[in-house]
Amino acid sequence: MQKSDLLKKLQDIVGNERVSASAAELYCYSCDASQVRGMPDFVIRPANTEQISKIVSLANEKEIPVTARGAGTGLAGGAVPVEGGIVLDMSSMNRILEMDLGNLQVTIEPGIVQEKLNDALEPYGFFFPPDPGSSAMCTLGGLIANNGSGMRSVKYGTTRNYVLGLEVVMADGTVVNTGTKVTKSVAGYSLTDLFVGSEGTLGIITKATLKVRALPKERSVLLASFEDPEHAGEAVVKVLSSGIVPSACEILDRNIIEAINTYDPHIGLPKAGAILMFEVDGTENTVREGIEMIKDACSTLATSIRAASDKKERDEIWAARRLVGAAVSRLDPLRTRVYVGEDIGVPIKELPGMLHKVGEISKEFKLPIMTYGHIGDGNLHTGMCIDMLSDKEWDKLTKAADKIHLTAISIGGTVTAEHGVGSARAEYLGLELGKGLDVMILIKNALDPKGILNPGKMGV
Amino acid sequence: MNDSDMRSILKCVRCGTCRSVCPVFDVIGWESASSRGRMLVAHGLSQGMEADEGVFDSINTCTTCGLCEQMCPSGASPVKVIEDVRHQLVLQGKMTDAQKLLRTDAIEKGNPLGEEKDRMAWLGDSKNDVPEKADHVFFAGCLASYRYPELTKRTFDILRKFGVTVLQEEVCCGSPLLRTGSDPSELMSKNLEQIRKIGAHTIITGCAGCFTTLKNDYPDNIEVVHVAEFLADRLAEMDLKKLDLKVTYHDPCHLGRCNGVFDAPRQIIKSICYLEEMKSNREKSKCCGAGGGVLKGYPELSLELSKNRLEEIPKDVDYLVTACPLCRTNLKRGGPRVDVLDIIDLLEMAME
Repeated sequence: MQKSDLLKKLQDIVGNERVSASAAELYCYSCDASQVRGMPDFVIRPANTEQISKIVSLANEKEIPVTARGAGTGLAGGAVPVEGGIVLDMSSMNRILEMDLGNLQVTIEPGIVQEKLNDALEPYGFFFPPDPGSSAMCTLGGLIANNGSGMRSVKYGTTRNYVLGLEVVMADGTVVNTGTKVTKSVAGYSLTDLFVGSEGTLGIITKATLKVRALPKERSVLLASFEDPEHAGEAVVKVLSSGIVPSACEILDRNIIEAINTYDPHIGLPKAGAILMFEVDGTENTVREGIEMIKDACSTLATSIRAASDKKERDEIWAARRLVGAAVSRLDPLRTRVYVGEDIGVPIKELPGMLHKVGEISKEFKLPIMTYGHIGDGNLHTGMCIDMLSDKEWDKLTKAADKIHLTAISIGGTVTAEHGVGSARAEYLGLELGKGLDVMILIKNALDPKGILNPGKMGV
Repeated sequence: MNDSDMRSILKCVRCGTCRSVCPVFDVIGWESASSRGRMLVAHGLSQGMEADEGVFDSINTCTTCGLCEQMCPSGASPVKVIEDVRHQLVLQGKMTDAQKLLRTDAIEKGNPLGEEKDRMAWLGDSKNDVPEKADHVFFAGCLASYRYPELTKRTFDILRKFGVTVLQEEVCCGSPLLRTGSDPSELMSKNLEQIRKIGAHTIITGCAGCFTTLKNDYPDNIEVVHVAEFLADRLAEMDLKKLDLKVTYHDPCHLGRCNGVFDAPRQIIKSICYLEEMKSNREKSKCCGAGGGVLKGYPELSLELSKNRLEEIPKDVDYLVTACPLCRTNLKRGGPRVDVLDIIDLLEMAME
């Protein structure tokens, strides 16, 4: 089919204003925040499920790839159309359809930004817990499709724990509903769980019913400084073994501390080899008790411990922490943060060893590697900044990232704890999953026999 | 593309922070209308992308409000990249009709409004009664001269008590040309020549666009202050009475965020009445929607931006005060539920 004929058909479905084939627009949708690139043929901003069903049905008939995209904040190329075709920009389907707070749930369209949902919930005393650093920009559809999480996952878990049901457009255009409004149900395979984290390879999520939680009455933040990341890693193991479940447990290494202080000098984090940022939430009593338990657990390992003085300081620290992934680019005018090899997860007990290994890899490749992340659930973000115009540095970065990935797998860890596989990490899936990947391929072929849904992703 | 712009583009990690704050993206919704998208389009152009209508709409719908730059965690400078791309395209003869008209009018008529009337008519009878030499000179600006002549006259009446004069043959400062990619040097020379002749060391202006241009694009040896700054330092000499009013204040982007003038207008307001801040204010203030040639080139978009800004007016205020005639004009277009005043209007109410 001629491209112009296809454009006409797509325009008939969504209207002229909702489809673009302009060079500028296509270029803008050819990447996300990763290094993956792929040029779409069309970008569509659908308004409803019916339009998406018709588009996917047409694409299936003509065997044209369809890639769903939220805000394009992904770090693995999940929303990049590596085989061309249609990009569905879901961000204009951004309504909250129902706030059923008596049943502790909301139903939303996938294009709503995470923070906007929480802004709407806050006056009622509720919140949606998964909070990635990108919560001000990422969409819930993207979060669900990638099973994203964030700083509070150590206590609240990942997005998967909050998805009760989904509306999904299947590869042939059929619309199916999964799950139920009931918080537990064992009726059949958990199709909801199949689609969560499937990165748009099995269906297009067009609606979701999500669990929400009551906002905690109190929150308190504690900063513990250490000589080096290894000592911080030991402290994490000790804290988590002591019975306390912090609502956040983040690590920042020396360079990350400097990056935060550069981005917002007002914060003035203490100089240290590493800082652990703990947050405890709950009632006044549980927070006080939790903070004391953390102080006790860290006392023999930390060089200093201090609590954030008030809500303002606490909010500023979290705001800066959320943006630090990009803010490390500020440390050197010629270097830019590149998101490669940045999302490993390891079993908690292996943390000190993994942190030590990252230090060795950094020395081996003579490439500064900054470490931060949700250490409380074993998720480390290893940040590398390079001169984007230097082929030599790209080569070093790629090799260092490969070694980080292989090391994580070798100690029972994962190449991606929350950012997703996309095409950036697809090559490691066989090694990490073994025959599990074969099962994934069987599922993919059964649900999307023509392979039109986000092809080139997740190793399927 | 120059090295510093390329470096800035490479600094962008495409995290999307700008997308979450860009007022234009909020209205348009397509990626090319966000700062991240514009950086990509700039990169595309450097790789040989053809400058078609889609490129123009991406690059020219930026109001240059700078909120993206303020919030950018990685330290990129999208506004500079966008203005440089506009300039490069104009050098190649690639521009929209609105850009062309703006340039022709500014250069041929001395103002981008296309006005052919006497620019200094606002001075009225005082025209022949202004000092030829002075330390301070009032730069009225195009919009104030032609669209708000009475306010401009009243502003100058306050200023002249402090020995301030005017440029008898003032022309456009060049801001609209700089923002939209054209060369303003001819206009700048005309103004500079007069400033030197008067012997002034300080220029005072009431327009945010003129302010940022005079301050950042004219020679360094001239000090530039906003009317609000000049008068905030002289409040004790002005015998102002307290008014039983509650007002809110819109920070013009090119005065506040881009040049750090936040306190002087607030100091004046607080010396007169109660100030309640808009939802976003100071460094994070939302744009009125007029700047960067957007009012001229994309009036409907500009109107939507204005309406969105007006939604941030707090309940129960009597007036929305601002310190820029362009912001005032566009905020009025948006149909505000309270009257929009220039800060001089408020000051005069307290002087009566």
